[in-house]
Amino acid sequence: MTKNSSSEIPQGRLALIFSAPALLILAVTVLVPLAYAIYLSFHRYNLKRAKRPFAGFRNYEKILTDDKFWDSLATSFIFAASAVAVITVVAFFLALLLNQDYPGRGILRALLLIPWAIPDVVNALLWKWLLHPAFGVMNALFQMGGIIDQYVAWLTTMPSAMIWVIIAYSWKNIPLATLLILAGLQTIPKTLHEAAELEGANAWKRTQYITLPLLRPTLTVVLIFETIFALKVFDIIYVLTSGGPGKSTTVLGWSIYINTFKKLDFGTGSALAMILGLITLFIAIVFYAFLDRGEKQ
Amino acid sequence: MKSNRIIRYILLYFASALFLAVFVGPFLWMIGASLQLERQLMQVPASLWPDPVSFASYKEIIYGALFDEAVISTEGYSSSYQARVYLGSFVNSGIIALSVSFFSVVFGAYAAYPIARLNFRGRYTLLFSILVVRLVPALSLAIPIVLFAKKMGMNDNLVTLIFINMSFVLPYSIWLLQAYFKTIPTELEDAARMDGCNRFQVANKIIIPLSIPGLTTAAILAFLLSWGEFLFALLITETEKSYTSTVVAGMFATALDVSYVTIIAAGVLAVIPPVVFALFFQKYIISGLLSGAVK
Amino acid sequence: MMKKWLTIAALALVGWAAPASAQDVDVELTGWPYQVDVVRENLERFTSQSGLSATFNPFPSNEYHTKMVSSFASGTNFDIVYVRDSFLAEWAAAGWIVPLTGLPGVDEYMADLPQGIIDQMSFEGEVYGLPYYSGNSVFVYNDRLMKQAGISSPPKTWNELMQQAQTMKDKGVLASPIVIGLAANENSILRTLEIVSAGFGGRFFNDKLEPVFQEPNSGVRKALAWIADGMKSGLINQASMSQGDGEIDQFVRSGTAAFSLVTDYEMKVLNDSEQSNEAGNIKNALVPGSADATSGTIGYVRLYSITSEADKEQAWKLVQFLGGKDATGVYYVPKRWALEFGLGFSPAPLYKDDDVRNSISGWINPDLLQEQAKYAINRGYRFVPYFSDWEIEAWAGFQEIINGGDADPILEELAENWNELQSEY
Repeated sequence: MTKNSSSEIPQGRLALIFSAPALLILAVTVLVPLAYAIYLSFHRYNLKRAKRPFAGFRNYEKILTDDKFWDSLATSFIFAASAVAVITVVAFFLALLLNQDYPGRGILRALLLIPWAIPDVVNALLWKWLLHPAFGVMNALFQMGGIIDQYVAWLTTMPSAMIWVIIAYSWKNIPLATLLILAGLQTIPKTLHEAAELEGANAWKRTQYITLPLLRPTLTVVLIFETIFALKVFDIIYVLTSGGPGKSTTVLGWSIYINTFKKLDFGTGSALAMILGLITLFIAIVFYAFLDRGEKQ
Repeated sequence: MKSNRIIRYILLYFASALFLAVFVGPFLWMIGASLQLERQLMQVPASLWPDPVSFASYKEIIYGALFDEAVISTEGYSSSYQARVYLGSFVNSGIIALSVSFFSVVFGAYAAYPIARLNFRGRYTLLFSILVVRLVPALSLAIPIVLFAKKMGMNDNLVTLIFINMSFVLPYSIWLLQAYFKTIPTELEDAARMDGCNRFQVANKIIIPLSIPGLTTAAILAFLLSWGEFLFALLITETEKSYTSTVVAGMFATALDVSYVTIIAAGVLAVIPPVVFALFFQKYIISGLLSGAVK
Repeated sequence: MMKKWLTIAALALVGWAAPASAQDVDVELTGWPYQVDVVRENLERFTSQSGLSATFNPFPSNEYHTKMVSSFASGTNFDIVYVRDSFLAEWAAAGWIVPLTGLPGVDEYMADLPQGIIDQMSFEGEVYGLPYYSGNSVFVYNDRLMKQAGISSPPKTWNELMQQAQTMKDKGVLASPIVIGLAANENSILRTLEIVSAGFGGRFFNDKLEPVFQEPNSGVRKALAWIADGMKSGLINQASMSQGDGEIDQFVRSGTAAFSLVTDYEMKVLNDSEQSNEAGNIKNALVPGSADATSGTIGYVRLYSITSEADKEQAWKLVQFLGGKDATGVYYVPKRWALEFGLGFSPAPLYKDDDVRNSISGWINPDLLQEQAKYAINRGYRFVPYFSDWEIEAWAGFQEIINGGDADPILEELAENWNELQSEY
């Protein structure tokens, strides 16, 4: 082996050669625009004004001293934490169900893909109609079931607006998480469960002491992916609530959109995006550290 | 023991029914609604199934794609501009989604291979940084990207959209694939290298052929994400020749007269290619994720 | 093996996706995709009259602003674009559209237009286009539901409206008879508040563009209180908060709302039996007022603007054809939109046109429409570049007040915000 490697290209350089096309694409389509966005974030750059002077950290300073930013950051965290929790918990139980051996399981696994395959634009439209205050199926069903007396305008009051936005978002994102967890479940040897069952451990105990610990790396990956997605949420807010009622569902993704495309203030919009990026990076690093520790154990 | 088993089945099927209602129910409603008349959609209480069943909006879209206005009007239908170009735009979306799937899997696999298999300093840093580039919301990169595309004369061009979508997809495919590659026994690779294969030959002849399920999973993920992409399709395309299905779907809603049933029907049609694609490969997805994904 | 596939795929890709070669067109028109075929037919007529070739390129309507902003910002050359009056100040300030000043024949067209419409097409004293369609918001009621509740004539004041709504509720006709647009977007909450406030004799800003809405007892405060009360009692449908322009008419079409404020052109759909369950029952009346004002409404204009000084003369030919007169000297295109599609119009000669009058009276009362136009308020404050910045904050603030929030601090903050923006620009 030693002889072999010495006659070859060093592994680091080899790795670069292998990943060159992918890295090149990412550099051109992400890093270059990102550099420009960073540049914008240091300028007072509003399309409606002719002068666009360098502004140093003033955009950042203005954002960080504005209560509205902290409100929308809090909203983002509430949204992301709830959505990630819903997605992970539902996906976990769904994966447990689909991991059982019973006739019909294959069809269910196939159908699980449908919400995932629905394009975001269509998903938002679908939920808008389901929740329609007058013609929506949700109202009709809930009234039939006696849950509500009168039709409810779900998206105009709090906390119901936030709850439905989280549900609509989770619905679409649960399938991928389920598939990832299902895959993780299958790597747990059946013999472990059988042995525990012989020793009298009930289903709950087995989940707690065998499934969950062994599933930790998978769950961490799911958490990282879903948190990144959820902190950047924009589409579903755009169609369902436009950040309302009031500012109740104004997440950072929505603020970035408002500043960039409505106020044409690219400076502030870019600065907000950088702040959100850094926050997400920090959270990803924390999760990643957990994952790493989990792996070494 | 036997009654235990019956209870278990009852619970399982109850849970399955709940699952179906929640995850497939909304889509079924959508199909039903697309078969309604415009007036029936605005009915209180909402009807759960169309009565009578009307295929008018599908006819508008399908006839619109096949025949010109003169032929359609002899059938007693009219067809709007949006309906006429809608199915045609599926071709553009299809080209983008298939190209993105293909190239992101190829480039992703070559990038994932060294991370999974080679031992070099900073390989976890590399893996992590690939994910990190996606942490800034795409929304804030939109204007810079459009600006550069224009400067390079690449606006209104499907190739540009393919590149942009690849940059969304690649980080996830690389993560997925490097995890998958790790599950392939190293003995096979060692044996091939003893026979004098270099790293490229190993990747091409051993790793890639053995990873078909993993590659398929990554391809489907890529297809789903790029088929439904809207923001950049909106900003990059400028003429009928390059409109994607999401852009044309966005055109059905005009400020003045909106046919909601047609929009819903357009939505149902937009779901068909990715669902067919996904269901067709679902066997591979499950096994792909099963052996990969999870480190 | 891999290489061969790659080559084939790359070749196929380039073949498929090669950029379409740009054909030379004299004038390009860009807008949202309303009746694309009709627009293109009109352009053919233009070509046959003028010998200039012209194309129409549509972008999605809901994302039109986003799309155009990113195109303008990256230096796309358009010739003529559709503009909504709500974007006008912003686009003019950014230099994306140019004024008509100095072009031949502009003054004659202006002579045919009411001052209110000209104001809504102006920025810093210059006119930026000719109208595509225009008109006013109107008050609509469902005649069938009114009769069912034993109400004989539409309300004259906002308070009377609330009483009629209460009667409908008491008689079990409808629980929440009023639906008005209060969603947080360009065509909704602020427009509704402007209309209701005008009926209470109030306005948002004075002629010097100073905020007056926050003053004690202002018409805006009365309007907000009236809406908040209606929401609390349920007489105004809670759904109003999520419904924008266009979505409101679903409630009217389905008979789930008896009273509403809509834009005039929507009346056609409301009374079209294909699309409406209440066709024939929807009537327009003067927007209600109060002791302080008889009525009030707001106008809207969608216009054709020229985007660059280069080739301005050539573009002006098409703008004239579309928004003004064609080569035969008649308002051909505006008349066609009014006759066949019920779009609102402003040139005075069309009001006198018998074809137009006969056609629109099928779904709207033209005399009432013309009378309503007299109550349109001046909204010069909308045509400053910082209005859109302020507006976005205002939507959320007003929604909070309507949902029961304390008005004083919110209104004070919005007034302060306006003054700040004003001093910045």
